[in-house]
Amino acid sequence: MTTVNTGNTQTKNKLNYVDTIGFGADVGGRGFHIPVDLSIRPDGRIFAVNRSPMHRLGIRVGICDIGHRWYHEFGSDGTDDGQFVSPTAITHGPGDRVYIADEELNRITVYNPDGEFISKWGEQGSDPGQINGPAGLKFTSNGDLLLVDHLNNRIQRLTPDGDYISHFGSEGSGDGEFNLPWGIDTDANDNIYVADWRNDRIQRFANDGTFIDQYGTSGRDEGNFDRPSDVAVDHGGFIYVADWGNQRVQMFDLNWNFQQSVRGAATVSPWSQEYLNANADEAEARTRFDSFVEVDATEPHEISSRVESYLWDPTALEIDPEGRLIITDSLRHRLQVYQRSNE
Amino acid sequence: MTTIESRTDELLIAHLLRRAGFGGTGADLQRFSKLGYEDAVDQLIDAIDTASLPQDLIRRYHIDQSDLRTRGSSAGNWLYQMVTTDAPFIEKMNLFWHRVFATGQTKLIQGKAMSTHLDMLRAHGLGKFDDLLLNLSRDPAMIMWLDNQDNHKDSINENYGREILELFSMGAGNYTEEDIKECSRAFTGWTVANTDYMALKMRNNTMRPYGYVNWQFKFDPDDHDDGEKTFLGETGNFNGEDIIAIICKNPATAGFIARHLYHYFIADELPVPQWSHFPPLNPQAIEVMTHAYFESGHSIKAMLRALFLSDSFKSPVSRNARVKSPIELVVGTIRLAGGYDSPTSDVYDHIAASGYMGQDIYAPPSVEGWMGGTDWISTGSMVMRVNFAGEIIGNLESPGVQSLIASIRSDAGSSPTSDSLVRSSLKNLGELQVADDTRNGLKEYTENVILSPSKDDESADIVNSGTHPSIISNSAIASLLQLIVATREYQFV
Repeated sequence: MTTVNTGNTQTKNKLNYVDTIGFGADVGGRGFHIPVDLSIRPDGRIFAVNRSPMHRLGIRVGICDIGHRWYHEFGSDGTDDGQFVSPTAITHGPGDRVYIADEELNRITVYNPDGEFISKWGEQGSDPGQINGPAGLKFTSNGDLLLVDHLNNRIQRLTPDGDYISHFGSEGSGDGEFNLPWGIDTDANDNIYVADWRNDRIQRFANDGTFIDQYGTSGRDEGNFDRPSDVAVDHGGFIYVADWGNQRVQMFDLNWNFQQSVRGAATVSPWSQEYLNANADEAEARTRFDSFVEVDATEPHEISSRVESYLWDPTALEIDPEGRLIITDSLRHRLQVYQRSNE
Repeated sequence: MTTIESRTDELLIAHLLRRAGFGGTGADLQRFSKLGYEDAVDQLIDAIDTASLPQDLIRRYHIDQSDLRTRGSSAGNWLYQMVTTDAPFIEKMNLFWHRVFATGQTKLIQGKAMSTHLDMLRAHGLGKFDDLLLNLSRDPAMIMWLDNQDNHKDSINENYGREILELFSMGAGNYTEEDIKECSRAFTGWTVANTDYMALKMRNNTMRPYGYVNWQFKFDPDDHDDGEKTFLGETGNFNGEDIIAIICKNPATAGFIARHLYHYFIADELPVPQWSHFPPLNPQAIEVMTHAYFESGHSIKAMLRALFLSDSFKSPVSRNARVKSPIELVVGTIRLAGGYDSPTSDVYDHIAASGYMGQDIYAPPSVEGWMGGTDWISTGSMVMRVNFAGEIIGNLESPGVQSLIASIRSDAGSSPTSDSLVRSSLKNLGELQVADDTRNGLKEYTENVILSPSKDDESADIVNSGTHPSIISNSAIASLLQLIVATREYQFV
């Protein structure tokens, strides 16, 4: 067996690489093109929303599962019902309805479980119920929708139909304040976790929006963040942070004790292997390709651009029903799957 | 420190800001005019960027500018830096080197390699020429652009060996065909990591399965010809570094780079392919720069400082004598209108506009770059230039344009005349110099359409002017600005 340097540091709780799902598909079809968020239905189906900025045919939601089965896709580029322009977030709501946020159109579109358009809502502004740059979505256990209203630097609580209930947060760097927040998650106790992107920290709130604590400082060391884009909490209370600018995912226990950092370890997915099987010249050249090539750069984004197996803009995180961590590896058009092992 | 007070010196400062940057507003002129000319030169060429729009913000909202796959993404990313930097001289130099070391995404396919190439120019473009040439030779974009990955120990490919001499350092006529072969031998084994796969992906032009992997320099000692070579009269077991050292100490190199600098910063020279047949237009200016080159240990910045302080540069004959390249026009106009204060999809329209005018950044027409000069102007490109500049400078929703108009009002005084309004407008557009007939035309427009509009004059409705100077509308002043950027004089730098 060949041992490779995956750039990981390890402590007692271990995060193990499991698999890679995906394939670059910039004009639609099986695969992804710059997926920026995903949502996992209780039956395990993975819904990934693709931003595909310069290749508008790639804008859509792709549905697959952990076993590499591809189901179908829905949605497309545009402003008509059921379309989106700059999608940022996707989540499942009551009745397995699908919610997608569009930060350019400032609207939320709702689909049935098959991806058929049901409704849309959203009005740009800063008054209660209005939105400016929706960036993250998450339903609470009682069916309220938490919306990261990022250019208003607040979290809004809405009904599934978009009616305003309450909000918390304002611009700043103090407790409970935000600087362009992005991803959001809740834990088993309904506490709320927000990736406070430009403050380089994660903030934790009670279900009613009361500030509990925060974690993170700027930097590249363990426990430091550089523009964290998302946070996920697993069934055991372990917290995962998409450390976007550092191009890694960090794992903490519920008391913010650092557990492990992963840089990515992607392998050739079955979809990608099929492509290589059909392109013999690339398959042959790839036999001499080192996906963990040693690089002479120090900046994480630059390193990731040169090392194919590493995460490159890990934008979003989700935990699947089996407790696996699914990482949206945006610029590599794939999902990397990890599993936490017990001590 | 000498304070510049005379109008003549203000015009010289304006000339410096246009050539060493992208032009300045009235406020910029005031700031630099408080310095002596020499200090102004130093401040411009020593400036370090502190103001560019942060890359994290750009990458979040334009995620395509994070992977930089397409030319629009990579060129758009550069446009952000050109427009928002407070050290415009660095970006102007990047444009200079991009013209000399012309590499293009048309062949390389992936924009990230071009952006990495640009980062290299930004890091070394003003330093010691030896370092720049060494990093250029190791630059993956250049390696792949000129096929040095196919330059092998047992089978040389002389593409890079030829161009480093002909186009990048000495110029034709200063070496032999044998020197090209020996030079090429010294650069064997200078390639990129994962060579075969990367070259194939470039040829196949496919991002599958997982997107492009940015290239990285690799020296392969097993593929390097370590044998004895004779190059420009010297003999040894030369490698690429040795060759570059020999090139950089040769007087032809200093003269060739100086001529390029003169061509770009002072006055249009003959096309580069003719340089081996005709002497420089201004041998004295070349001599000043080559002297600075050797005195400073091959420093490009020292050459430029000598250039900007030279009589050739300061001469009134040199001013407003070169046609703005499309990207100079685009960047300069957007900067006049306030630039970008946050990520905007306009950046894609703006970089595309430069292409419509004839200059696709990161896609030069050949290894010799753009010809420039009057080649920039055609009937079609002129229409594009005027429409673009007019649209940008006439956008009353832009805070930058509003600020520009406020400054014009302030300078024109409480009882503006056609003369004061025209003078103030020209000053706030970077002390633009216009011919008498142009000035008279602008004044006539101002008098008849802005200050004393006839009730029958449809133009008055168009500019929404009031009939009293104190209620001159913003749109009226904007219309004057649009007229100015449509002039012949605005096309020059």
